[in-house]
Amino acid sequence: MHTYIVTVTALDRVGIVQSVTGTIRDQGGNIVELSQTVLRDYFTIILAVEFPEGRNTRTLSAAIIANGGKFDLNVEVIDAGTTAQQPVVPNAERFIITVLGPDRAGSIHEISGCLTSHGVNIVDLHARSEEGTFSLVMEAFLPHDLSPTIVREELERYGSEFGLESYVQHENIFLATTEPSPVRVGLAPTVEGDAVVPH
Amino acid sequence: MYRTEDVLATLGMVRQHKLDVRTVTMGIDLQPCGSPDIKTLCDAIRARIIHYAGRLAAVCREVEARYGIPIVNRRIALSPIAAVAAAHTAEGYVAIAKTLDEVAAEVEVDLVGGFTALVQKGWTDGDRRLIGVLPEVLSTTKRVCSSVNVGTTAAGINMDAILAIGHVLKDAAARTADHDGFGCAKLVIFANAPTDNPFMAGAFHGAGEPDCVINIGVSGPGVVKAAVEDLVTREPKVTLGQIAEEIKSTAFRVTRVGELIGREVASRLGVAFGIVDLSLAPTPQVGDSVGEILQAMGVVRLGAPGSTAALALLNDAVKKGGSFASSSVGGLSGAFVAVSEDSALADAVERGDLTLAKLEAMTAVCSVGLDMIAVPGDTDAETLAALIADEAAIGVINHKTTASRLIPVPGKGAGDRAVFGGLFGEMVILPIHAAGGSTAFVRHGGRIPAPLSSLRN
Repeated sequence: MHTYIVTVTALDRVGIVQSVTGTIRDQGGNIVELSQTVLRDYFTIILAVEFPEGRNTRTLSAAIIANGGKFDLNVEVIDAGTTAQQPVVPNAERFIITVLGPDRAGSIHEISGCLTSHGVNIVDLHARSEEGTFSLVMEAFLPHDLSPTIVREELERYGSEFGLESYVQHENIFLATTEPSPVRVGLAPTVEGDAVVPH
Repeated sequence: MYRTEDVLATLGMVRQHKLDVRTVTMGIDLQPCGSPDIKTLCDAIRARIIHYAGRLAAVCREVEARYGIPIVNRRIALSPIAAVAAAHTAEGYVAIAKTLDEVAAEVEVDLVGGFTALVQKGWTDGDRRLIGVLPEVLSTTKRVCSSVNVGTTAAGINMDAILAIGHVLKDAAARTADHDGFGCAKLVIFANAPTDNPFMAGAFHGAGEPDCVINIGVSGPGVVKAAVEDLVTREPKVTLGQIAEEIKSTAFRVTRVGELIGREVASRLGVAFGIVDLSLAPTPQVGDSVGEILQAMGVVRLGAPGSTAALALLNDAVKKGGSFASSSVGGLSGAFVAVSEDSALADAVERGDLTLAKLEAMTAVCSVGLDMIAVPGDTDAETLAALIADEAAIGVINHKTTASRLIPVPGKGAGDRAVFGGLFGEMVILPIHAAGGSTAFVRHGGRIPAPLSSLRN
């Protein structure tokens, strides 16, 4: 299988998803993952698409633009190859990083710089500024041997000058407080009533 | 992918509403330590505590950093020492208390519970010796906490033990007079004591528990108060049923935090996870008060008619939310009305709104009882014993845990201020009406028989 990453951006209108996915179906592709959002009236979608045979990225891009003519789409297609990718940060755990405080230009760049220096990989990020208040929530993979305390201290060192508060918390705390499913911990739970360090 | 609103809602509980894990309490069985030689016994106790709790502080710090949830206290609860040391003299009991004080400091726990006797039906020589040395232990150790269970629904109430404790309180208060009788703040008198309570001063590792277990005491008065306040502000015509639903869902999230932290700590230490205690435990900080929740519900003057009903609603809703959140719920699990530790309750006492009689009524519908209450220093031992007996009777008759933690403040009277400091807070001393009016009753001694379980009105 050949995998392609397709990104489409346009002013938000009803029918863009139907148009883009219809073109991909007609071209013989199968969507294996998709993420879509609307940000300040702009529609953005990113898709991972598999084709049985290799495709020309320009031809595929042109087909999506042509079929969605009335939407004035901006399309980018990248050939992701045929080999399975190794994880960027092996043996990592997912943490939620939250930064809150006054808005200023360059915050996200500088926060991400703090994380890059420790090998932290951002996999999902949402940030917004409303009435001068900045809030950023991201999901990030921390290498197994990196303490969340180090990341938090690094962010606090950066943020203290600008009044930013930073929190680095394992995702399980949010699963536990928002879902009714059984609590999960990082390590295998001990059988109740059984001490594994007998004395 | 997590919704930003969900992340910020959970984070807000910690940032703005003081959600924390009040205590990670490790229960340790000391039965295997028994020895007729006191030095061997003390050495064995020290070795066993260090074996299990040596890494407790480090692991708590790791877990705290991992989840960004503060763990305020680490504590240890031990098998009732009266049984562990039954073969020893009074001096032996004191030696054990000093060992516990030292080893608690060594493993970085602020309090160690279990200097305990269970005397609900009768008392052994060992129980008597333990109760006899309590004034010395409470006044010369820093970290050792004690409890005595004087009644159960199955056995009735041991009035001989209660009278002895009345005298212990007088003596312990006198020995710690320079700290407003603080020694008494480390002694809890229970009826129907739970075996897995993580909260001090009453924690001990009871019968039926494993070798070592992690129990969790959550905190969350601030979170519950904020939820109720938000609801009432948003919808001024909200009903009490809707308030109860809001408290339930908040209690769910608070309990989940406790269970996650408890399971992770237990897993990392390689010991069993026990229970989450759902109790709403106040601190003297403004915004971390059970009294303020009642005020948010509309009982503006705490102690006014309606206070007991509001507390009953709160207590029940917390238990319902917590029980849905976790199958591992235990301990005391209710709202604490610890007066000196709760700024709103202490203020209500100072204004004269909240009286001892009203507090006693409120303890019929919540946990734990007459908790952290300063009374005049000249209160006689019999009156203290009678107060304890009243509270024990509420528990024994109603099939629930009740407790008393009374501090007769030496040299001070009703209306004076008693200051205990830190989490123990401060309060204006409450008067005891008709003090001395039940001396003859208490001096009869013996046992109040176990209550009938049918004809329940």
